[in-house]
Amino acid sequence: MVAALDRKLLRDLYAARGLLIAVTMILGLGISAYVANLSLYFNLELSRRSYYAQCRMADFWIDIQKFPNAELERLQRTPGVSELRSRIVMPVTVDLENVEKPLSGTIISMPPDPMPVINSFVLRQGGYFTPFRREEVIISDGFARARNIRPGDRIYVLLNDRRQELLVVGTAISSEFVFARGPGTMIPDKAGYVVLYVKQAFAEEATNMEGAANQIVGLLTPDMQSRPQLVLDQLERQLEPFGEATSIQLKDNESHNQLTSDLKGLRTVNLIVPTVFLAVSALILDVLMVRMAQQQRTTVGMLKATGYSNGQLFVHFMKFGVLIGGFGGLLGAAFGFWLAGYMLNLFRQFYEFSRIINRPYPSIVLGCIGLGVVIALLGAFRGVQQVVKLRPADAMRPKPPEVGRRVLLERWSKFWESLGFRWQMVIRGIVRHRLRTFTGVFSSMMGAALILQTLQIDDSFRELISFTFDRMLVSDFDLSFKDELDYGGFIETRRLPGIDYAEPILTVGCTFYNGHRSKRGAVTGIQQGARLTVPRDTVGDPIEVPETGVILTRRLAEILAVSPGDPLVMVPLTGARQRLTVPVSRVVESFVGTAAYADFNYLNSLVGEEQALNSVQAKVSTESGTVREFYRALKQTPRLQGFSALREQKSQLIELLKPLKVVNRFLIAFAGLLFCGGIVTSSLISLAERKQEIATFRVLGYQPRQIGGIFLRESLIINTLGVLFGLPVGYGFAYFINRAVGTDLTRLPFYFENSTWGLTIVLGAIFTVLGYLPVYRAVRRLDWIGALNVNE
Amino acid sequence: MLLKLVDVDKTYRMGDVDVPVLHHVNLRIEEGQITVIVGPSGSGKSTLLNLVGGIDRPTSGSVFFRGHDISDYSERQLTDYRRDRIGFVFQFYNLVSTLTALENVRVSTEIVRDAMAPQDALQLVGLSHRLDHFPAQLSGGEQQRVAIARAVAKKPDLLLCDEPTGALDLATGRKVLRALVELNTNMKMSIIIITHNVAIAGIAHRLVRIGSGTIAEDVAVEQRIEPEDVAW
Ligand SMILES: Nc1ncnc2c1ncn2[C@@H]1O[C@H](COP(=O)(O)OP(=O)(O)O)[C@@H](O)[C@H]1O
Ligand SMILES: [Mg+2]
Repeated sequence: MVAALDRKLLRDLYAARGLLIAVTMILGLGISAYVANLSLYFNLELSRRSYYAQCRMADFWIDIQKFPNAELERLQRTPGVSELRSRIVMPVTVDLENVEKPLSGTIISMPPDPMPVINSFVLRQGGYFTPFRREEVIISDGFARARNIRPGDRIYVLLNDRRQELLVVGTAISSEFVFARGPGTMIPDKAGYVVLYVKQAFAEEATNMEGAANQIVGLLTPDMQSRPQLVLDQLERQLEPFGEATSIQLKDNESHNQLTSDLKGLRTVNLIVPTVFLAVSALILDVLMVRMAQQQRTTVGMLKATGYSNGQLFVHFMKFGVLIGGFGGLLGAAFGFWLAGYMLNLFRQFYEFSRIINRPYPSIVLGCIGLGVVIALLGAFRGVQQVVKLRPADAMRPKPPEVGRRVLLERWSKFWESLGFRWQMVIRGIVRHRLRTFTGVFSSMMGAALILQTLQIDDSFRELISFTFDRMLVSDFDLSFKDELDYGGFIETRRLPGIDYAEPILTVGCTFYNGHRSKRGAVTGIQQGARLTVPRDTVGDPIEVPETGVILTRRLAEILAVSPGDPLVMVPLTGARQRLTVPVSRVVESFVGTAAYADFNYLNSLVGEEQALNSVQAKVSTESGTVREFYRALKQTPRLQGFSALREQKSQLIELLKPLKVVNRFLIAFAGLLFCGGIVTSSLISLAERKQEIATFRVLGYQPRQIGGIFLRESLIINTLGVLFGLPVGYGFAYFINRAVGTDLTRLPFYFENSTWGLTIVLGAIFTVLGYLPVYRAVRRLDWIGALNVNE
Repeated sequence: MLLKLVDVDKTYRMGDVDVPVLHHVNLRIEEGQITVIVGPSGSGKSTLLNLVGGIDRPTSGSVFFRGHDISDYSERQLTDYRRDRIGFVFQFYNLVSTLTALENVRVSTEIVRDAMAPQDALQLVGLSHRLDHFPAQLSGGEQQRVAIARAVAKKPDLLLCDEPTGALDLATGRKVLRALVELNTNMKMSIIIITHNVAIAGIAHRLVRIGSGTIAEDVAVEQRIEPEDVAW
């Protein structure tokens, strides 16, 4: 049997269901965002770990010119090394019959039989190599699908100046290439870059590396995981006889770096929204419960007179909180789990994991339900406290009438009198119910802030794209070569059919040092007056590359903690590898990558060359015939290492950002709910409180529309204040998020379109009107004749 | 002796001013009697009832219930006292609007050990046919009788009624008084009724008149009359 008081509780809840649904929804949305984000993060992280384990992801990579495999066993005895594997890794140009342009690829040698080697892969289609022929290849699955290649198809690669035919036997994915980018391209491009796993014997012969390899990958012993550099230094020393060795740790691995910082960003950024929701729902609940305490004054007095103890009443009224919190939490957890699955699916497009684990986390769900209850209890607390504090003798007496306070505005009597009684009522109400006003303003402020911030992210991306592709990198094609060309090579390249204009580039890979800080990167040497690579300063104006010294992009300068005028040490990764001290001449803006620029001739002289170059940027005439001819010529260009079409990269980036827009639409809907949630609930509360007033208006002949106007006026004032405060708060959110999403590789410009401010205000107006609809409906459906007869 | 008030003072503090309401009130009330306390509005009747019912404390003086000084009680003891000894009936009934008649009675039966069945309590006040009605579906007199059933159902030693007929018309008021008299005769229940309406004193054993904070008159009622003969 349900206790009589519990029955009362349930009926009270039912009577206030409209309001409770609103609060529960806001609370539930907050909880669901927590559940969704946390489980999304945990699931992606779990998926990543399981993928890494499955592929036996290396802890480090060492590139070397030519390493005899026979030496591997000795090298493996180096303390701190748990396992090593040597392999051949070589850039190739891939020629597909039905594709005009040459594509970049990397071949990687694999043992002839399936073995759990370091950096292995997960087969997707077809099978592992067969013993029947040497020219078999397993290609990256994303590329195969994008280019519609199936096991049994043949592809051609340009390797060591020879065109080789390979039979595709399978497709695979690997944790090493979650973000697979071709050389010289900025954006992961499944269709433009392919990893080709070939048999070791084939690789050795095709690259003239019999019995040797050019890369060592390895795993560290557990105790050295935290100090990889110590082991790498030792290995590099032992590798000295075999040519220059350059090593990279897992944390500097581009794909890994991008993936982990993505995930981390996801976790921090997305916790703002739910926190705001929870705060607002606690506030609204507070308003509701304080009102209920006042409404149930005499009931409380009666219960106390009957002999209910404070403890019993405390528990009874707290049950409201527990129920709302528990229900909101449950709803939120269910919706959040669904949302997590939905977003996980979106992320499938970004991250090609061996499997995406979608596991429910009971602890998160329970924790979030608990959080919901705690929030609701916090919200309920003040109201319940008032109930408990109420002395029964006082509760029996009629409530003293509310003190009607004069408002400051009334001093200005001409204006005040011109307002009309409805504005006067609203303004007095707003001043009297401070907490309610605060709740309404706070919630619409947060809503407006979230709308602004969500819209702003879009602005930043658009600015990023336009800055990078319309102003900084304006070539059509970048060609990079395996080794350096002399100036004659450049002239020759410039003559390729279709090229209208070209500029030579020398890129020198190096490590920068400033004191204890270091960063691996490259210096790009561009000619004076270059038109295709245009470094720009922080306000976006193009700058001339000075004749001496290097220019750093802002992020790189930050990492190294240098400013213009400071000396910087750079050690090239190849060649004589001398320590060079160069002055930093300027700092420029860049949002993608950490680049450094220098004058072409100056950089040449630094590395002891003269007019050497290793890539060419070109403008190609847009007639389709010439582009085709240009592609055909490229396929025959011998030492071509990589090739990137910048226009395509731009459209790829735009494509890549589409899922973000879907998520943003959700966020704006969330924010809209928040925007009007506070004022709608407080309107519904005051509607219930003023039943008799409204009944009187109806008797006098007021239409529901005119009465609703009172509430509309109130919400206009509250929401206007909300937007007013929300815009600067949103600016703050946007700034915070802008900082949080920056990685070494990409940063977002902090950029606002003027229209974003305007759109936020327009959306605010729309949400105000939408929020008025339920209030108007409640006014129309109010049983005012009944209210006239009840003596509350 | 059911109740003994000794030198009871009650002063309310309103901001900076003291508002004396009761002054040196001395009163004795016997078991099993109906006592009617009359006085003009604002004379301190409700205050007196609240002191007796343990929902307020005297500023000075003592209230003895069967020899125990309840003005010394802790908050906890007072709550137990209200629960186990006292039944309250209020002028405006104070029913829970979202509970039916039966459920309203259960609100009080559920917190005491040896309570009446709620149905029986409603039968005592003649409302067996209205168990599942909500307060809004009951007349004023019926609501007040539900309130009486609620107070009586926990078998209190003392039933306190603050203007039980104050909001009712004559005919309905008589029905409520009938229910009270019957409780007194059939169950030997002690009852205190406060009212500004002297006519009601006819049904009582004792009449106490209160005026400007003190007891002005305290007499036995010579000629008791039936509730149906009360007129105002
Ligand atoms: N809690 C209180 N605070 C201040 N004054 C009170 C309070 N309760 C009662 N009073 C005052 O005490 C006087 C007596 O009140 P009350 O006992 O309710 O009178 P009655 O029930 O006889 O009409 C009144 O003047 C009333 O205003
Ligand atoms: Mg009174």
